[in-house]
Amino acid sequence: MIDLAKANKNLWKEITEESGDIRNCFNCGTCVSGCPAAEADPPLLIRNLARMVLLGLEDELLEEGTPWICVTCSQCEEMCPMKVHPFEVCLAIRRWQSQKDETYIPPAVTEIFQRGHTQPLEKVQELRKSVGLEETPPTIVKFPELLKKFQAMLRETELVKNNDFMFRG
Amino acid sequence: MKYGLFLGCNMPAIRPDVERAIRLTMPKLGVELIDLEGCACCSAFGTFPSADEIAGLAVNAWNLAIAEESGVDPIVECGSCYSSLRLGRDKLLQDEEKKKRVNELLKIAGKEFKGTAQTHHMIDVLYNEVGTEKISNAITRNLNGINAVVQYPCHTMFPSEIVGFDNPRRPQMLKELVEALGAKVQGFSREPQCCGGAGGFSHGAHIDAVKFTQKKFDAITEETSAELIVVSCITCLMHLDGTQRDLNKGSDDHKYSLPVFDYNQVLALCMGFDPKEVASISFIPRDKVIEKILANPRS
Repeated sequence: MIDLAKANKNLWKEITEESGDIRNCFNCGTCVSGCPAAEADPPLLIRNLARMVLLGLEDELLEEGTPWICVTCSQCEEMCPMKVHPFEVCLAIRRWQSQKDETYIPPAVTEIFQRGHTQPLEKVQELRKSVGLEETPPTIVKFPELLKKFQAMLRETELVKNNDFMFRG
Repeated sequence: MKYGLFLGCNMPAIRPDVERAIRLTMPKLGVELIDLEGCACCSAFGTFPSADEIAGLAVNAWNLAIAEESGVDPIVECGSCYSSLRLGRDKLLQDEEKKKRVNELLKIAGKEFKGTAQTHHMIDVLYNEVGTEKISNAITRNLNGINAVVQYPCHTMFPSEIVGFDNPRRPQMLKELVEALGAKVQGFSREPQCCGGAGGFSHGAHIDAVKFTQKKFDAITEETSAELIVVSCITCLMHLDGTQRDLNKGSDDHKYSLPVFDYNQVLALCMGFDPKEVASISFIPRDKVIEKILANPRS
């Protein structure tokens, strides 16, 4: 049984005020009907997540892993008849979870901080050479001084400031 | 036509043969490509945008600022990069506060985001700027007698207001581009279905993502006589190729064996470039299709 007395009535503001007005959601389920990740077990059901946000069910929402299986196709964004921006809601829930519980922070952010990319571009020289390409691509990986500036920029973000132990450059 | 080639992370690291194909084919069609020196991850949706919106937008703006400095629009093959850069730019231009905050961050790195560069997808440029006629005239071999299916990159469809260039309900540009190379493109019931490879789906719910994509392969097999799948997104390429390998594991019949090519790879083969450079990396062997193309001089 859900005890709404314990609910956080301002949760929707905290999470989704930036991404559109989630209060327009009337639970039609269009966001779920075309969603690839709704076929997963457990399924990603954006409609239910929107309900949790609106009802202020903080504890339940913090336990929800399903926002992280979103395929990011954004079909829900296109189809939502109420312009709730379900994909943006999904990302906003991830951010809220990451702020509440650092274990939600995707490890890829530290990789991008350290090398500018999710992939180790400095370690693929042979493969690139074999197809006739420049061994090091002309991205940030080739310009260490730019990587330093990139890191200096990111160091001033709330994410890095609040979790600096993850970002040793 | 001059664009800045935005590489992203996966293409230059895991599938550099696609990068090679793009670098060889586009100039042949009159599209000059310059390097966007110092670009980083786009930022992918599952990274900064999932942890700190301003940080995600700052990474978008870093990349766009490099294009602005070079005086070109970025061109990109990866669907996620395309969508992230487009959505990021739109958010920054819609919200003065966010733009101001992001520019304060960029200033630390000696950069500024103005919003003057807009990102374009490979299909958009090939179809709308180059055109199918020019492509047909630029090839020396073709896909005559070969049946194909196409995979549209979801990130170039939705939200159409911000990323769209094709009809999101009934896309046809990639199909026409493949037909311009002489292939017959067959439709099938699950053609609009996304590949299932992007975001956290295939990481967080791998078995379900494989089953989801299996339905697509089964529909292709039952409803068409396709000999290859043509994509224009590095995630579609890696996922449709890698998932077939996963599905074949533990059985000897290799039931799932449809070769997957990026469009620019097929184009490069039709232009006579060396398969070892432009189409050498895959799990599902592509030799038969490559041989067919090489043996098919344009009449």
